[in-house]
Amino acid sequence: RSSDIPYVLSSPKMMDGADHPDKLGGESKTTTDVDLTDTTLVVDISDALSEQDKVKFTVHTKTSLPEFKKSDFSVVRLHEEFVWLHDRYFENEDYAGVLIPPAPPRPDFDESREKLYKLGQAEGTLTKVEFQKMKAELEAEYLATFKKTVAMHEVFLSRLAAHPTLRNDSNFKVFLEYEKELNVRGKNKKERFGSLWKDLTKSVDEALVSSHKDSDEFFEHEKTFLVEYNKRVKEAARAGFRMTRSKKGVADCHIPIVATVATLGTSDTHGLSKFLNKLSDLLEKVRKLEGRVASDEDLKLTDLLRYYTDDTKAGKDLLYRRTRSMVNFENTNKALEKARTKGKDVATAESNQQKAKDKFEHLSEVGKRELQDFKTRRLAAFKKGLVELSELELKHARQQIKLIAEFIGVAGSLEYTPAKAIEQ
Amino acid sequence: DLLCIMANEGKSSPPLFGDDDDELAQSPEPEEQKFSDVSTEEPDKGLFDDDDEEKGNAEEGEKEPEAEIPSLDVSDVPKKVAKSEEIVKEAEATDEMKEEEEEAEDDGGDEFTMEITVSDPQKVGDGMNAYMTYQVKTQTNMPDFKSHKSAVRRRFSDFLALHSKLAEKSEYAGRIIPPAPEKSVLGMTKVKFSKEESTGSVDFIGKRKTILQRFVTRVSKHPVLRKDDDFREFLEKTEDLPKAKGTSALSGAGFMRLVRNVGDAVSKMTSKMEESDQWFEEKQLELDALEGHFKRLVTGIDSLVTHRKDLSTATEAFSKTVALLGTVEEHEPLARAMSQLSDVEGKIDRLHQEQSSKDYFIFGELIREYIGLIAGIKACFSQRVKLFHAWQSAQATLLKKRETETKLKASGKTEKLPDIEKEIKDWEEKVDNGQKEFDKISKRIKEEVAKFESTRVKEFKSSLINYLETLMLTQRQLISHWESFLPEAKAIV
Repeated sequence: RSSDIPYVLSSPKMMDGADHPDKLGGESKTTTDVDLTDTTLVVDISDALSEQDKVKFTVHTKTSLPEFKKSDFSVVRLHEEFVWLHDRYFENEDYAGVLIPPAPPRPDFDESREKLYKLGQAEGTLTKVEFQKMKAELEAEYLATFKKTVAMHEVFLSRLAAHPTLRNDSNFKVFLEYEKELNVRGKNKKERFGSLWKDLTKSVDEALVSSHKDSDEFFEHEKTFLVEYNKRVKEAARAGFRMTRSKKGVADCHIPIVATVATLGTSDTHGLSKFLNKLSDLLEKVRKLEGRVASDEDLKLTDLLRYYTDDTKAGKDLLYRRTRSMVNFENTNKALEKARTKGKDVATAESNQQKAKDKFEHLSEVGKRELQDFKTRRLAAFKKGLVELSELELKHARQQIKLIAEFIGVAGSLEYTPAKAIEQ
Repeated sequence: DLLCIMANEGKSSPPLFGDDDDELAQSPEPEEQKFSDVSTEEPDKGLFDDDDEEKGNAEEGEKEPEAEIPSLDVSDVPKKVAKSEEIVKEAEATDEMKEEEEEAEDDGGDEFTMEITVSDPQKVGDGMNAYMTYQVKTQTNMPDFKSHKSAVRRRFSDFLALHSKLAEKSEYAGRIIPPAPEKSVLGMTKVKFSKEESTGSVDFIGKRKTILQRFVTRVSKHPVLRKDDDFREFLEKTEDLPKAKGTSALSGAGFMRLVRNVGDAVSKMTSKMEESDQWFEEKQLELDALEGHFKRLVTGIDSLVTHRKDLSTATEAFSKTVALLGTVEEHEPLARAMSQLSDVEGKIDRLHQEQSSKDYFIFGELIREYIGLIAGIKACFSQRVKLFHAWQSAQATLLKKRETETKLKASGKTEKLPDIEKEIKDWEEKVDNGQKEFDKISKRIKEEVAKFESTRVKEFKSSLINYLETLMLTQRQLISHWESFLPEAKAIV
C-alpha cells in the first residue's frame, strides 16, 4: 500500500473569466498523488457553493465496494458534518493507534468580506479604474480562499478513503451515502465535551514528554520530536502567513500607481505619452507577477506549514492515546498483582490485564507504522513544496526581468519630440 | 486662529517652530522685518497649499505694489550679463538689444561645466541647539570662481537662504527657481536628540542630503541662475555664511511672513487678469492637472515604500521561525534545507529594504521634485499677474493725470500745467516700462516652461528607466538566492 502520499495541495488553477465567483466547475482541485491503482473507493468534491455564511460541498463517491448501495453517487455536506465525521474517528478507541487525518479548517471568508467592505467604503476616493482593479483583486482572493477550502475538505476525505482501516468505518459510509442532512446540531454539547478533551490534550505536551519515560526508544523520540516540532511549525506557519499577506499588499500597492501613470500618459502632450502608457502597462504586469509570487508562496510554503501543524498535532494525539493506553495497562498490571496477593478475582484481573496488554501492544504496533508513514509523507511533502516553491520563484523573477528588459529596450525609441517653438 | 489653521494644514513641518537652526533660542528681531517683508522665505505651509514651497515667490519682482514701479532700466540688470553689457549701458535700450542680452544670458551659461556634490553630514552641538552641516564640493571652470575646485561646509538654513535670495531677485522674474528643500521640524528634532546612528535619524539625514543635492544641482544646471553671485558665494566662500535670520517661523519676521502669505493666498485667488494670451490660461490648467496627478502618484509611491518595509520586517520574522524549525528537525537533509531557507529569506528581507529605499529615492523623489518645480512655475505666473496689475495701475494713474491736465487747461489754471505735464511724461514712461516688463516676463516664462517641458521628458525617461533597472537588479538577486536553495530542497529525500 502506498505510503508516499504527500497530501500537499498544488496551486489551484488561477481563475479565468469562465469561473463563477461562487461556484466551481467539475475539476479536480488537488494533485494529491493518491495511489491510482486503488480505485475501489474514490472520493472527491465535485462542486461547491458559497451561500451567505455557509459552503455547500458536493461529495462525490465512485466505488466498487459491495457495502455501498450504488457505485457512483453524490451528497451535499456542510463543514460541520466534516467535523462530525472527524470526531467520530477521533473518539473511536478502535482507531487509537491510527493517525487520524486532521479535520479541515472552517471556511473563513471573514477577511475577504471585510476587505470588500472596506473597499466599498473607499469607493469615493478611488478612480473608476482603480476601484475596478481592486475589486477584481479581492474577488480573486475570495475565489482563491474558496478553492483552498474545497481542497482542504477534499484532502481530508481522500486520506480517509485511502486508509485501509479508516475507509471501512460505518460513519464514513453514512457520511458518503446518506442523502439527507446529518443532524449534527445536537452534537454541540458533545462537541463541547470533545473540545474540552481536546484542550486537555493541549496541556498534555508536558505530560507526554516528562512523565512516563518510555522504554521504547522509538516512541520516546517521537514524543520529544512531535511536541517541539508542532510548536515550531505552528510559529513558522503564522509568520509565513503574515509574510505572504504582506507581499500581496505590496503587489496591490501598485494599483493606484499604475492608474496615475496611465492618466499621466494619456494626458501628456510633450512626448512622454507613449512612454508613460507603456510604463503603466509594464507596472501592471509587474503587479500581477508580484501577486502570483505571493499566492504561490502562500500555497507552497504557508499552506505546507499549516498542514503539518495540524498533522503533527494528530501525531501528538496518537501518542497521547498510546500513553493513556499504557497507563491503563500498567494499572491492570497492578490490579492483577493485588488480586494475586489477595487471592481474589484473579481470573477477572488476568482477563483485564490481557485485554489491556493486547490493546496497548496493538496500538503501539499500528501507531509505529503510522508514525513512520507520517515521517515519509512529511519529508516528501516538504521536498515537493520547497522544490516547487523555488522553481516558481525563479520562473516569476525571470519573467519580470524579461518584461522590464523588453520595455527598456523599446523605451529609448519611444516618441520624443522636442519642445515646440514658443508662440510669440 | 491663523496659526491654528496652519498647524492643522502642515504635515511634516508645523510652521510654529524653526528648523534645524537654533531659532527657538533666539528672540524675534523686529528690525529684521524689513528683510522678511521682502524676503520670500519658504512659506511654512501656505494656507491653500499642501506641500508646495514656492508660494512665497509670489512676492518677488515687487517691492512696493501700489507705489512707483521700480524703474527697471538696464542698470538693474545683473552684472554678470556677458560682453553685451557695455552696449546696453544707454538709458534707452532698444528691444532688439534687450533680446540680445537675454540670449546672452541664456547661452553664455551653457559653455561651462559645473558639478556639485553634497555629502558627509556632520552633527554639530547637542540638544536643541544642534544642527547638521554638509560638505558642498564644487568642480567648475566657470570664470568668476576663484578656483576650479572648492569644498565648503553649509547648513540647512544656508540652502534655504540661498533659495530665498534667488527667489526674490527681480532680475530672475519669470525664471523657474528650483524648489527649496523642505523643512521638517519633527525629523530634525529627532536628529538633534538622537544618538549617533539611530536608523530614524540616519534615514532622515539621508533623505535631506539627497534633497539638498538635487537643489544645488538644479541651480547649477540653470544657465542664468548658475551665474548668480550669491550662488557662487554659497559654493566657494570658506567662512560660514551669515546666519540667515528670518528663516524661522517663530520669530517676528516669521509671523509677518505668515500674514503676508495669507494675504498673498487671498490675493492670488481673487486677483485675475483679463488674459489676452490663451497660452497662459491653458498652461495654468495643464499645470494644475499635472500637479494633481503628481500628488496622487507620490501618495501611491509612499504607500508602496511603507508596505515594502513591512514586508521586509515580516520576512525577517519568518526567516527566524524557519531557522528554529530547522533546529528541531529530525531528518538531517531537511534540517539543512530549512536552515538554508532561513538564510535565503534573511537575504530577501534585505533586498526588500533596499528596494523600498530605491522606491523612495528614485521614483518618489523625482515626482516630489517636479511638484516643487510646478509650484515654481505657478509662482512665475503670479509674478506676471502682479506685473500686469502694476502696469494697469500705472495706466490708470496716467489716465487720471491726463484728465487733470484737461481740467486744468479747461479751467485756465496754467501755472500747474508744467508740473502736470512732467508727471504725465513720467507716468507715460512708467506705463511703457510696465508693458515692457510684462512682455518680458511673459516671454521669459514661455521660454522657461518650454525648457522645463523638454527637460521633464528627458529626466522622467532617465529616472524611470533607472528605477526599473533597480527592480531588475532586485529580481536578479532573488534568482541567485533561490538558485542556491534549489539543490538543497531537492536533496531533502
